[in-house]
Amino acid sequence: MKHVLVVQLARFGDLVQTKRLILSLRAQPDTVTHLCLDASLEPLARLVFPEVATHLVTAHGAGLAQAGPVALFTAMLERNRQVFAELTAQRFETVYNLNRSPLNLALASLFEPEQVRGYAWRQGQPLQAPWPELAMRWSGQRRLGINLVDFWAHFADAPVPPEAVNPEARAGGAGVGVVLAGRESRRSLPPEILARFAAAAFERAGRGRILLLGSKAEIPAAKAVLRALPGRLADKVTDLSGKTDWVGLAEAVGGLDLVLTPDTGTMHLAAHLGVPVTAFFLSSAWCFETGPYGLGHTVHQAVFDCLPCLESRPCHLEHRCLAPFADPGFVRFLSTGKPGHAPEGILSLRAEFDSLGQTYAPAAGKDADQKQRLRFRAFLARHLGLPGAEKGVPDSGLAERFYQERDWLVRNNIIDFKY
Amino acid sequence: MDKHLRVLVVLPMYGGSLPVGRFCARALRRLGHTVEVLESPDFHSAYKALEGLRVTSDRLQYLENSFLQVVSQAVLAKVETFEPDLVLALAQAPLSIQALKRLRRDKVATAMWFVEDFRLFTYWQAFAPHYDLFAVIQKEPFFEQLQGIGQPNALYLPLAADPEFHRPLELTPAERKEYGADLAFMGAGYPNRRLAFRKLLREGFKIWGTEWEGDPVLKPYVQRNGARVSSEDCVKIFNATAVNLNLHSSIQAEHLVTRGDFINPRTFEIAACGAFQLVDLRGLMSGAFAQDELATFTTMAELTEKIDYFIKNPEERKAFSRRGRARVLAEHTYDRRMDALLDFAAERLPGWPRERSRAAALDAGLPEHLRAEVAALLERLGLPADVSFDDLVWAVRQQQEKLSDLDAAILFLDEWRKLYARN
Repeated sequence: MKHVLVVQLARFGDLVQTKRLILSLRAQPDTVTHLCLDASLEPLARLVFPEVATHLVTAHGAGLAQAGPVALFTAMLERNRQVFAELTAQRFETVYNLNRSPLNLALASLFEPEQVRGYAWRQGQPLQAPWPELAMRWSGQRRLGINLVDFWAHFADAPVPPEAVNPEARAGGAGVGVVLAGRESRRSLPPEILARFAAAAFERAGRGRILLLGSKAEIPAAKAVLRALPGRLADKVTDLSGKTDWVGLAEAVGGLDLVLTPDTGTMHLAAHLGVPVTAFFLSSAWCFETGPYGLGHTVHQAVFDCLPCLESRPCHLEHRCLAPFADPGFVRFLSTGKPGHAPEGILSLRAEFDSLGQTYAPAAGKDADQKQRLRFRAFLARHLGLPGAEKGVPDSGLAERFYQERDWLVRNNIIDFKY
Repeated sequence: MDKHLRVLVVLPMYGGSLPVGRFCARALRRLGHTVEVLESPDFHSAYKALEGLRVTSDRLQYLENSFLQVVSQAVLAKVETFEPDLVLALAQAPLSIQALKRLRRDKVATAMWFVEDFRLFTYWQAFAPHYDLFAVIQKEPFFEQLQGIGQPNALYLPLAADPEFHRPLELTPAERKEYGADLAFMGAGYPNRRLAFRKLLREGFKIWGTEWEGDPVLKPYVQRNGARVSSEDCVKIFNATAVNLNLHSSIQAEHLVTRGDFINPRTFEIAACGAFQLVDLRGLMSGAFAQDELATFTTMAELTEKIDYFIKNPEERKAFSRRGRARVLAEHTYDRRMDALLDFAAERLPGWPRERSRAAALDAGLPEHLRAEVAALLERLGLPADVSFDDLVWAVRQQQEKLSDLDAAILFLDEWRKLYARN
């Protein structure tokens, strides 16, 4: 029996988006898959990856900075260290270190670089494998980028098919969930707009309840949504903001007819559970990178020249990407689904798969990047050696753009090249 | 210098100042500083490979300059990562003027220890003004000339020995046979030495080192066919030889004993080994050694006479050796030199070293049972107990193998602090 380790120290959404990789590793014969993650996400990991062995470290802030040195050293130099010793003792055949974060690199120092795929460490020198390095090169053209689930999945030799990741989404009859905010505020919709969408979606579903979903931080937003909803719906609303743990959240989301959400971890959880998602992507959120995984989901993507932007940089364009969602016509479009009703600046997309994994096909609006994106995905499929990808003449233009002299001159081992 | 500093030592790609650079790094570490060494010799074979191209000389020069720019960029990248308080370059260290300008712009202090003869190795005229400090092994008129070209921070810093390395050894009989002699010389075949040694030939005379080829008279005395001798073997030779000849080099052969000014490293090294040497008297020697600490000569006739005398008088040899070693241990170690250099930097460079946040590694709140383990880690890494957390992290990072769970936990804590606890 061989043991492999996935190091995923990021947050809620990223953990769920590691699913295709973990399923791919679990599909390998005689393999035990381990997952190293922040301790706060352990209940979520149990829900999403029940057959994976977990190793829990303190990687997130979670008030520890204010808790004083005793708590800090106990967490970092006692508990973390104990987990590190366990990881070292396990003698993993392969360690999938998924993020370039300094925490991931510090953890990589426990392993021989030859054991590690992704981000490794050799005698104090951080190393980036060719696949994530290639991703860094295309990150300059985010409109073309691939879904994060697929990016991580292709750290594995043979990713499971995209269809095997999440169940095709189907309405469950329990009503509409409304995710109040994402972690990045500019990606979220204001409560008044959310309230309009919630009312339209609920009336279309015609059953169940409206669940307001969020953490404690979203309690004020929940109150604002409640105030903005039509009075006739007041008794249909259950405000769960700040009231659910991971298990409670999964129970609340499972069985819904629809989840309305910006780009959030709850969106990925809904997709994991096979609950239909209608997602609103704007600002720094770009659905081709982090959209809901699976079939049966819809994304309304704001499309302006400035998108996707960087959340860390101030917007000097008065958040114009919010305007299409604020347009009164958008509610009508949500209700009818007719392409002609889509306001300017909105690209509505339907979830689809191709050989690489998740993609989206336009249902309304113009996908100006589609041709380039298809070209790029074909290039990546060929790069990864996916079935059928070798047909036709290679795209030397993209190859010149994304391959570098170092690839050609130094990397002559095809296995090495892939990872 | 009582502050704990970070020093980046930039070695030359090859040559005589290379071991000096390594001794500097060892000394700085012993003094409790955090030291990173830029291993320029690792680049040397690639540099030399350019010569094998057989291209036009213009093109070769262009390629060599380009290559050296890359190595200079490597130094800058290292500085960016390591954030040293001082970049200490040894003579011929691969730092371009462009790189030195960049370091000055970024307010990174630089020092050159120019362990060369300024009269022969004249390139200092272009480079000296670009260093913040310029340590040299000669005095006037060098100081005046440095001042004249815009280098006001010149420091006389004679060479030295490393007593952990240059020390008395218990040699096996086999080693004594291999390395031992009544009379021997260890060094390169400069013209004055070639001529001088022809006058000293005798049974059992051994000449060690390189660049002795082409001299049929000396050939029978040259050991190992003139192969390079490691620093470790040098120490064995000094220890095993009754009379170590130490004739300072000269590229001219008109005067075999040149009465020059600087003192070569061999003088300090042989003395530190507790070995006996006959050394030509140098202009700067009286400031470094008393007359009864070094046996000197000023003419070939005196040398010949003293060789015979000291070979026959082992007790006198021992007395010189004992006193010479004591003087070196007291005043002429690389530890003392590095201390002097750092004190000079503090005196001459305003605001140097800049203050860093220096949270102690053993912060209050460290659970008791962890204290012992962290203390053991500090000892293993050769760090003082009051080392800052940042320097501990740096030392952990420098280890050459995969890290232990405690090492990794410390790195993890450091990265976590940067993410969550510093703002």
